[in-house]
Amino acid sequence: MSPKKTFRILIAKPGLDGHDRGAKVVARALSNAGMEVIYSGLHQTPEQIVNTAIDEDVDAVGLSILSGAHNTIFARVMKLLKEKGASDILVFGGGTIHRNDWAPLEAMGVGRIFSPGTDTREIVTYLVETLPH
Amino acid sequence: MSGENNKGLYRTDALAEIEKRVKNWQETYSKERERLETFTTLSGLKVLPLYTPASAPNLDYLKDLGFPGEEPFVRGVHPTMYRGRAWTQRQLAGYGPAEETNKRYRFLLDAGAGGINGVFDYPTLRGYDSDDPEAYADAGRGGVAIDTIEDMDTLFAGIPIDQITISLVTCQPICNISVQSMFFANAQARGIPLNHVSGTSQNDFLMETAVSIAPGVLPPRGSFKLCCDAIEFCARSAKRWNPVSFAGYNYREAGCNAFQEIAFVMANALACIEEMLRRGLKIDDFAPRLSFFFSAHNDFFEEICKYRAARRLWSRLIRDRFKPENLRSRALRFHVQTAGAALTAQQPLNNISRSAFHAMAAALGGAQSIHVDGFDEALCNPTELSSLTALRTQQILQLETRITHTIDPLAGSYFVENLTNEMEERITGLLEEIESIGGIVKAVEDGWIHRAISDSAYEDQKGVESGEIPVVGINCYRVSEEPYKAEIFAIPETLAVQSAKLKRIRAERNAGQAQSALDDIKRCCERDGNLMEVMVESVKARVSEGEVSRTIKGFYGTWNPPLF
Repeated sequence: MSPKKTFRILIAKPGLDGHDRGAKVVARALSNAGMEVIYSGLHQTPEQIVNTAIDEDVDAVGLSILSGAHNTIFARVMKLLKEKGASDILVFGGGTIHRNDWAPLEAMGVGRIFSPGTDTREIVTYLVETLPH
Repeated sequence: MSGENNKGLYRTDALAEIEKRVKNWQETYSKERERLETFTTLSGLKVLPLYTPASAPNLDYLKDLGFPGEEPFVRGVHPTMYRGRAWTQRQLAGYGPAEETNKRYRFLLDAGAGGINGVFDYPTLRGYDSDDPEAYADAGRGGVAIDTIEDMDTLFAGIPIDQITISLVTCQPICNISVQSMFFANAQARGIPLNHVSGTSQNDFLMETAVSIAPGVLPPRGSFKLCCDAIEFCARSAKRWNPVSFAGYNYREAGCNAFQEIAFVMANALACIEEMLRRGLKIDDFAPRLSFFFSAHNDFFEEICKYRAARRLWSRLIRDRFKPENLRSRALRFHVQTAGAALTAQQPLNNISRSAFHAMAAALGGAQSIHVDGFDEALCNPTELSSLTALRTQQILQLETRITHTIDPLAGSYFVENLTNEMEERITGLLEEIESIGGIVKAVEDGWIHRAISDSAYEDQKGVESGEIPVVGINCYRVSEEPYKAEIFAIPETLAVQSAKLKRIRAERNAGQAQSALDDIKRCCERDGNLMEVMVESVKARVSEGEVSRTIKGFYGTWNPPLF
């Protein structure tokens, strides 16, 4: 039996918004759940995020956005991933992203959006169930 | 009665009898079942079932509590406190272009707010122009967009800045150096001498280097220097302005517990004092204008005791270390914002109750001004309705509850005095630890602070996930269908508006003057001069915040903080 795959996850915080508590907590929770986590800090542009995701050969990218800029940023990340032939990378997100925006984001190909108050174990379960083993 | 028969406020024989009876009572108590395995404060201090005079047996009223307006200021910084003038209702506001925020300011002032609390958008806080490629998605979000002095003119148009106090939530020194300078330059243009403007800017170097962690920020020593330039400038030229508001609130929001919140701001403030003395100022020239900004979180009594302990500790630290003559140098004054991190996106109307309790703790703890969060804090920027409800919460607290009628009403409670002592001890311990590793700037450079904040945030999350920290609507009393659909505030168009302004200004301004303003800033960096002295003039040439930041970073370089 082949060893169980270790997922590689990029947690990124696009834009200039400074609320990084959620991103850091999620990064640590995923890491404690046995995943390899790359956390990039604030001020990441969609270009930087996509390049890091490809260079680091990650399975998924989690974007934390609390500024309200989520629609613009997710659209740009999804477009860049597609252009670079990396649409197989799962993109999920969290932050102050209102429920009304979830369906349009899903339509862009974004995976699950987690609202404030999410139990980090829910995110772990989601990734384990969604990512190909 | 001789002193030998007394211990603190109590007769030794009475105290011994109380201690004996407490033991008896505890025996009976321990036969009963308790609802929880352990009872602690939110920051982890053990809470006993009962407090008695034996819980703070050494309390010396005159030395440890004293009177309002007198050392050690536990009972408040003013002799009259809220009987003279209640706390200032200072509601945070800001979004979109300056024209829009100016309307919200006026709306809040018309609704009875006593001062302005202006928050800036993410690009402004981080030192970028609205049209910078890095800023494309964030212009106007989280606050108002300020690019040049023109935006500052628009922001305060029609607002009597010499009659009300203005708080500029500039967060990082890289933002403050431009934005505060633009505000001062605007005051001068309106014919108001700088010594006549009253207010506060945040200007906390930890905000830049340890709280919101991004690669490529100003290095800790550079950021600290910029913060101190503003303190020095105000001590000399804008004497009614509080040039720094040590942002414990934001440390707390990032994950700190209550002791860390206070210990980190004090370590920061002590470092600023040392630097000012090194620059040749006297303690009384600037210490009365150092101000603090704290959170009001869920643990009602812990928060109240936190404020009381902070006042006592600060008063003693400043007295012992710096021997000021002016009593005001030792009085810790603070603004409180109710904890945003304690609010939930689920069942958002519950946040109105939460914030009301938070604000009540702040008032019982003797805050000088308060902001109450909007109930939609976890969802979006506040709407007009949520802003108004938050303001009304303060007004109900101030006018209807009558908690303002007597000063420091919880003093003398066995629990409150015991917890105040314990908080002070824990804060002192942590402060000593920071000093032993070389002070706050070193603790930032080494990543010690980053690790501490990150660890606390994770502990808190684990507490919520295990159910140890109950949060209604999150780990208990959840609903499957939200009974109330909150209106989501839409930010008015900002990027196009600001881009057009910047384009016009760049074409219209005297290019030679703008360049020479930026050269002045560069030369000031090179000679290690006070940047604010130069900046208040430079911004008049309509240089943009982004141009200024690039010039400053060009000299100080950039720093990649540890990413924990």
